[in-house]
Amino acid sequence: MNDDTACFHCALPVIDQRYTVDIDGEPRAVCCPGCKAVAELIRDSGMSRYYALREAPEPGVGKPEEDAGEWEVFNRRDMLDAFAASDADRAEATIYVGGMYCAACSWLIETTLKGTAGVAEADVNPVTHRLRVVFDSTVIGLGTLLATLSQLGYYPQPLAPDSTAAPEVQEQRAALKRLLVASLGMMQVMMFAVALYAGEFQGISADMERFLRLVSFFVTTPVVFYSARPFFASAVRGIRTRHPGMDLPVSIAIGAAYTASVWSTFYDGPAVWFDSVTMFVFFLTVGRFLEMRARHRSIDRSVALSSILPNTVIRVDDAGETTVAANQLVAGDVIRIRAGEPIPADGELVDGTTSVDEALLSGESRPQAKAPGDTVFAGSVNLDQQVLVRVQSTGVDTTLGTIGRLSERARYARPAFVRLADRVASYIVVAILVIAAFVAAAWGYYMPERAFEVTLSVLVVTCPCALALATPAAFAAAGSRMAELRLLVTNGDAVESISRATHVAFDKTGTLTRGEPVIVETRPLAEDQSAADLLEIAAALESASTHPLARAFHAVDTPYRPEQVETHVGAGLTGSVNGKRYRLGSADFVPGAGRYAAELADDRPTIYLGDDDRPLAVFVVDDAPREDAAATLDTLRRMGLGISLMSGDREAAVSRLAGELGIGDYAAECTPQGKLDRLAARQQAGEVIIMVGDGINDAPVLAGADASIAPAHSALLAQTSADVIMLGDRLGPVVTAIELSRKTLRIVRQNLAWAILYNASALPLAIAGYVPPWLAAIGMSASSLIVVLNALRLSRAGNDSRVITA
Amino acid sequence: MSILYVLIPLALVVLGIAVWAFFWAVGNGQFDDLDTPATRILLDDDTRPADDPEE
Repeated sequence: MNDDTACFHCALPVIDQRYTVDIDGEPRAVCCPGCKAVAELIRDSGMSRYYALREAPEPGVGKPEEDAGEWEVFNRRDMLDAFAASDADRAEATIYVGGMYCAACSWLIETTLKGTAGVAEADVNPVTHRLRVVFDSTVIGLGTLLATLSQLGYYPQPLAPDSTAAPEVQEQRAALKRLLVASLGMMQVMMFAVALYAGEFQGISADMERFLRLVSFFVTTPVVFYSARPFFASAVRGIRTRHPGMDLPVSIAIGAAYTASVWSTFYDGPAVWFDSVTMFVFFLTVGRFLEMRARHRSIDRSVALSSILPNTVIRVDDAGETTVAANQLVAGDVIRIRAGEPIPADGELVDGTTSVDEALLSGESRPQAKAPGDTVFAGSVNLDQQVLVRVQSTGVDTTLGTIGRLSERARYARPAFVRLADRVASYIVVAILVIAAFVAAAWGYYMPERAFEVTLSVLVVTCPCALALATPAAFAAAGSRMAELRLLVTNGDAVESISRATHVAFDKTGTLTRGEPVIVETRPLAEDQSAADLLEIAAALESASTHPLARAFHAVDTPYRPEQVETHVGAGLTGSVNGKRYRLGSADFVPGAGRYAAELADDRPTIYLGDDDRPLAVFVVDDAPREDAAATLDTLRRMGLGISLMSGDREAAVSRLAGELGIGDYAAECTPQGKLDRLAARQQAGEVIIMVGDGINDAPVLAGADASIAPAHSALLAQTSADVIMLGDRLGPVVTAIELSRKTLRIVRQNLAWAILYNASALPLAIAGYVPPWLAAIGMSASSLIVVLNALRLSRAGNDSRVITA
Repeated sequence: MSILYVLIPLALVVLGIAVWAFFWAVGNGQFDDLDTPATRILLDDDTRPADDPEE
């Protein structure tokens, strides 16, 4: 048996040692029958190598869903028409596969599907998480394919045919085409250029020279008008918004060199510079391509958000009830939502009362009571009773969709710090244009025949590309590295502030603590039964409950099986264990529990267990600190950072946690304004502060801090206010973020120093006329390339901090 | 050297065909995934339970 108590398949902690799977001749502990089934399925299909090849999994990823029946509906003919492009028997569908995280996953999915009868092709794109599958719809149904994926432990979601081409894919395709045209063009033109240079020395017939120039012109033209188009477009935009960026001198250099070369070609001018033009465009296109790839590597959050929603839903109309795909819903439909199910669309409750968990939307962890006429939101979970809801808006129009769009927009917006670098670059651009004008005038006066060539060299050699690339290249590389380490950077200039931080302020609930209730105390109130036994009885009764507080009991292993469990909305539940009836719930629900409630006057939630006459036990539920909270705080202290705790929670709870984690500097019962005031006081004292928090009440202070980090499960308002979102269930990424940010700033400084050194030393040589245009193009490109390569060193950085994150 | 007047235009025609073929391949989605193919060579897809039940 492995000492490791993490599930071999999904990496969640193994509570019950009952389930094992023999893989590679060794028994491996798994956490539940579902994981056992998946692991056996993988082994029996001869794909055990998946476990050897995959990257370390995020706990819980790949854990199979229990309900496989929901996929049956996708086998219907109308579903095939809605989600697949199909001929008589050949159908092609695109499926979003949630829960995949590395190349081994795509191998597992492809190999499994290709071995399934009826499947002709299966391709997974691990970047966009999209599976394209071609199958014979008379042999196998779409629903069966989805069920197979679900059995493998993924969360499939069929996509309507029009949503298949992601914008990232479109952008990458366009960039690849530009890159290919530029590279082929450069290679061809370079060949002709060698011939022309050789001709300069050995002599060349005038006809041949004209011919080679003409051919170069033909090849360069698409490079300039197709591959370099984004630079011209961006330069024009820069002029319009009066912030000329580095694309302006780039465009001027390309445009001028091309025009002059064309003139030379047709009027037998002294020289052509087609080779410089194509090489320049090629290197710039390579740089842009690498930058784009780094940007695309961050996770597609909009789809991740919609994967919270159910795939199928029960629609109620005059004809009765039909199960339909959730994305076929339209406003006005009435849908039935059973207890425990997520709500698929925004709508109005028309029948039934229930309470819903809106934690995802608002961060509020207590269930919200809903009566007919109230609005329910997509992404919240129906807890108590089945209800009817009239759909008001679906998909991207829901509150959930709006927030998804916001985060999408934030991802594409360029961060303020880079804009600053661009502004600096635009001053340099103006300076270069002025210098170039002077150079042109001076050479024009003394030596008119070389004036154009020298001016061109000055423009190319001083192109502040390296300077302008220095910061964004490093930030892009840092961003992609952080995404690999499960940190999503939503605001690029946070990297700069994080690196300068002197102090880290934490929120309590959901940040330092798990934000999930655990049972911290069991107090038996009757003499005849042990605390452990009572806890097991309560756990059995709560095992089927979806109530938030019931989750505290789900971690408890119980030998009992409950019978006749009934939920009493807003009060508790009743049920039998071993033939004896119990009541479990609030103090009012259990007879005689009221007098203990006064005695336990502590505002930690309490749950009472009793029979029909008397209370038997009370369970105190509280929020425990995260496993790695203490270790993370120690590391931060060693890194020389100050630590404080600011919470809106009551004094007793905050001081208890502060004592446990050794935090001397804490404040309880803070209002959002109070937090902001404390923050401002520190900032005035010259400290640079990182705020780590997850609640809506943290949003102002997250926005006000120099940099802010929010856990992935936090309130969306907090997430949109935060600069960095950390995935997973640990605090360790805070340390990783700080280390990586410091490294990034070191790289930025190296890059800036190099770029300035290069420009400063090349400019006088170019003015003096010692740099021919082709050499200028090589120098400029090489300096940009060095900057990009230096930045790429960050892609390997941060491995040392895995000790905490892994 | 007059053969160049034929060979170079011919090279350009071949170049044009290459660009066209690449554009077609990109449009067909063959370059959408630039990451998996690099690791695909490391994965066997011919291991079947019939050949090796223990694997």
